[in-house]
Amino acid sequence: MDACEVEFLAEKEMVTVIPNFSLDKVYLIGGDLGPFNPGLPVQVPLWMAINLKQRQKCRIVPPDWMDVEKLEQIRDTERREETFTPMPNPHYMELTKLLLNLASDNIPKADEIRTLVKDTWDTRIAKLRLSTDSFVREQEAHAKLDNLTLMEINTISTFFTESLNHMYKLRTTLQTPEDGQSQEY
Amino acid sequence: MMEDDVSDQASDAGSEEVLTPVELINKLEEAWLNEKFAPELLESKSEIVECVMEQLNHMVMYLSNFSISTGDLKSALLNHMEIERIRFMLSSYLRSRLLKIEKFFPHVLEKEKSRAEGEPPHLSPEEFAFAKEYMAHTEALLKNMALRHMPPNLQTLDLLKCVPKPDLDSFVFLRVKEEQQSILVEPETDEQREYAIDMEVGSQHLIRYRTISPLVASGAVKLI
Repeated sequence: MDACEVEFLAEKEMVTVIPNFSLDKVYLIGGDLGPFNPGLPVQVPLWMAINLKQRQKCRIVPPDWMDVEKLEQIRDTERREETFTPMPNPHYMELTKLLLNLASDNIPKADEIRTLVKDTWDTRIAKLRLSTDSFVREQEAHAKLDNLTLMEINTISTFFTESLNHMYKLRTTLQTPEDGQSQEY
Repeated sequence: MMEDDVSDQASDAGSEEVLTPVELINKLEEAWLNEKFAPELLESKSEIVECVMEQLNHMVMYLSNFSISTGDLKSALLNHMEIERIRFMLSSYLRSRLLKIEKFFPHVLEKEKSRAEGEPPHLSPEEFAFAKEYMAHTEALLKNMALRHMPPNLQTLDLLKCVPKPDLDSFVFLRVKEEQQSILVEPETDEQREYAIDMEVGSQHLIRYRTISPLVASGAVKLI
C-alpha cells in the first residue's frame, strides 16, 4: 500500500467549509451533501473541500484539534508516555499535510502547527522503532496497537511483516513440515 | 430513487440484505483493503462489483442527461470526482485479484476444482476463464520453448509443485469489527507457549494470517 492510498482513505474524512456560492443539494453515491449557501458552514468530505478550495469557491474551517495549545498538549503527553497516546484524528498526519499545503491562509499559526505535528510524528515513529525492536527480540507472536494510525502502520508495515515472516520461518525450520512434503530433486 | 435501485439489484442477486449505496461503497472499500493485505486469494465478491458497476453506469447516464438539460455544471463536476474515486477503488481491487491469480494460478484452479458444492466460489466466471487461459498459455510456452527438447522422461512439469503456494503464515495488521473471545496465538508449533487473547471491537492487532483467516472471511475483522 502506498502513502497516496492512505491519503485516499483520509480524504473521506468530513471537514467544515464556508462556501462563497450557492448550490442546491448534490446527490452523490456516497450520500447527499448541501445545500450550499454563501457564508453558511457545511460539512463535506475532504476531497471535495480541497477541490473547492483550489477553485477558490470556499474557505476551509480548520478541525477543532488543529490548534496550537491542544497540539502542544498532545506532543508533551506523547513525549512523557511510554506507550502510544490516542491521536485527535485517525488521519491527523494526512489532514495536516493536505490542509496546510492548500489552505494555510485559512489556518491561524500554520507554521507552528506544522512543527508540532511533525514533532509528534517523529516521537511516535521513534517509539515505533523501539517497540518493533523489542517485539522481535522477545520473539512475540501477537501485538495490540490500538492507538497507532494507518499512516504510521503503513510506514513500517512492509519491512516489519517481511522481517517477522523470515523470523517465523527460521524458528520453524527445525520442525517437520505439516504436509510432510519433502523436497525431491 | 437510487436506493430502490440498489436494493432491487441486491435481491435479484439472491442476497438477503438490502444495501444502501453508502453501505455498498463501504463494503467495496473493505473488500479492496482485505484483498490488498491478505496473502491468499479471497472469496469472490462479484455481487458487490456488479452493484458498484451498475451504480457508476447509472450515475454516468444521469450526468450526461443532466448536464445537457440544465447546464448547471458545478454539481456535475463534484459527481464526476466521486465517480473517479469509486472507479479507482474498483479497478485497484480487481487488479490485486488478477495479480494473485497470476501468482498462484495452479493452486487457484486446483482449489476451485476441489471445492465442495455450496461453498462460496473464490473466482468469478471471468476470473476463472482468465486463470484457465493463463495456465494453458504458460504450459504451452514452457512446452514449446524447452520441455519438448528434453529427454523423454523429463518432459513433464508439475506446476502445482513448481509454483509456490500462498504463504498463510505471514503477519498482517487488522482492525476488529466484532468482539472475539479466546483466539489462540501460537508463537511456534511447540504447544507450551500458546496462549489465548480476546479482541475488543475497534482494537488493532498484529498477528499471523493463518490464525485469523476465518475471521476475515466472515467479516468479523478487517485487514489494514
